Amino acid sequence: MRIALKNQAHTAQVSNQVPELVDSFFRHESGKVISHLTRKFGSENIELVEDAVQEALFKAMKTWPYSNVPDNPSAWVLRVASNKLLDVLRREKNFSEKVEVIKREGATSEGQMDQIKLDEELEDDLLKMMFACCHSSLSVESQIILTLKILCGFGKAEIATALLKSEDAVAKAYTRGKEKIKAAGKRIKIPGESKLNERLDTVLKIIYLLFNEGYKASQGENLLRRDLCNEAIRLTDVILRNPKLARPKPHALMALMCFHASRFDARISRDGELLTIQEQDRSQWDQDLIERGRFHITQSAEWSELSAYHIQASIAYCHCIAKSYEETDWDRILTLYDAHMAIDPSEVAALNRLVAYAKVHGANKALAELTSSGIEDKLGKYYLLYAIKSDLLSEIDELELAKSNLDKAIEMSQNEAERTYMLKKRDLLEAG
Amino acid sequence: MDEYLYLFRGGQDKRSKQSPEEMQAHMQKWGDWIKVLTEQGKFVGGLPLEEAGKVVRENGDIITDGPFTEGKEVVGGYFIVKVSSEEEAIEISKDCPIFDHGGSVEVRKIYPMVS
Repeated sequence: MRIALKNQAHTAQVSNQVPELVDSFFRHESGKVISHLTRKFGSENIELVEDAVQEALFKAMKTWPYSNVPDNPSAWVLRVASNKLLDVLRREKNFSEKVEVIKREGATSEGQMDQIKLDEELEDDLLKMMFACCHSSLSVESQIILTLKILCGFGKAEIATALLKSEDAVAKAYTRGKEKIKAAGKRIKIPGESKLNERLDTVLKIIYLLFNEGYKASQGENLLRRDLCNEAIRLTDVILRNPKLARPKPHALMALMCFHASRFDARISRDGELLTIQEQDRSQWDQDLIERGRFHITQSAEWSELSAYHIQASIAYCHCIAKSYEETDWDRILTLYDAHMAIDPSEVAALNRLVAYAKVHGANKALAELTSSGIEDKLGKYYLLYAIKSDLLSEIDELELAKSNLDKAIEMSQNEAERTYMLKKRDLLEAG
Repeated sequence: MDEYLYLFRGGQDKRSKQSPEEMQAHMQKWGDWIKVLTEQGKFVGGLPLEEAGKVVRENGDIITDGPFTEGKEVVGGYFIVKVSSEEEAIEISKDCPIFDHGGSVEVRKIYPMVS
């Protein structure tokens, strides 16, 4: 018995090595290989491609634990997925039309292309797909869902959890969005110079929304949301590795995301409660990410271009370098918010500007500004308005008004972690 | 010490519908399990099986796709482990990641060969 087994070449070659793969390897391979094979075999075949990639990953999952991970796991997944796709296409009636392309592509997947060239091609294809997923003809929701599903390899259930949507809604938006990708055909490419800035803006906007979605305060640990932030950073990295696309705006966006992400761990207390920037232990801020952000903010200043990302990155940087909350350079932050309002006015920017304004000019003036600027009328449905107003009122000892405003904010807040935080604050106000 | 065969059955449906991240995590569980059993000297061998196959009957007169009349019963792989008792074989099998997907482990003692 034992002899028979030992002579079996088919017995698992168990070494003491557990598969060692980088985090989210499957997820990222899925994005790369789907983009690549869809570009090669046509976007009309995207569903066949998705199935082939899923099968390849499934095979990896079943076989790799029994032996070692292949020397080049990426090449393995690509080869297995290509072969599975070719098998399916061969069985199709219109196979002959595709024979040429398959012959040609078959040659490359047999490894005639050197690894560096192949990596470049894969990255290029991922970018092309990024432009296809983030296209202004699609709804913002579809763009985000396509990005997460195709480029980031998220499952539908994971997308639903991360975006706080139902799986059904995600599936529908995905199907709708994919129809447009299928119809896009040869237009899946990196746009030419004349449209590049505009198209890149759309891509960056989606990445920015993805990051914000993940960064939104939430109670306790939710790894999926953090993954959204990681994915946003990874996609921006891919953009910045392309010389044609490494422009000031993506650099500024990257800086912004690095600065915010540096505070990820410090934002949640040991008890899972949300901490404001004032309460956070600054020694927990991730210095590597701050350093990385600093690099990108320098790069972003290479051209004279100034975007909202630049300004937000600069503001975030002011917080990153302040030794304590008290030592924050509020004058500079206020100036930056003024600039933000000039080039890209928004509700959130207006309210954040007001906080800086109060730090510089005092709560009384800030309250007056709130009324005179008309922000109050415009943002009457936004909980943060009342939360900030409550802070300002409590600073000038208008405790009753502070309480009633905070109650309003609590009532309007959609976010459990934020509500818990405000309820705590409400208790403090009550205690005087 | 006796040798036992584990037949891993079922779970295909849920297993094949996993997201890439879930597949990677699931793979890691199998790898970790095999590693632990190997380090303890209990892992003799094993391999995964393809889902599709044929069943040959009647001297080859009847060949059908199969054996899966029911997906939940398909054997997806096997191990042979070397342990001291059936109790131990059962105890160890409880760590099998197949339970994540509603599958089962059939534990069978292998006849020892007379030397």
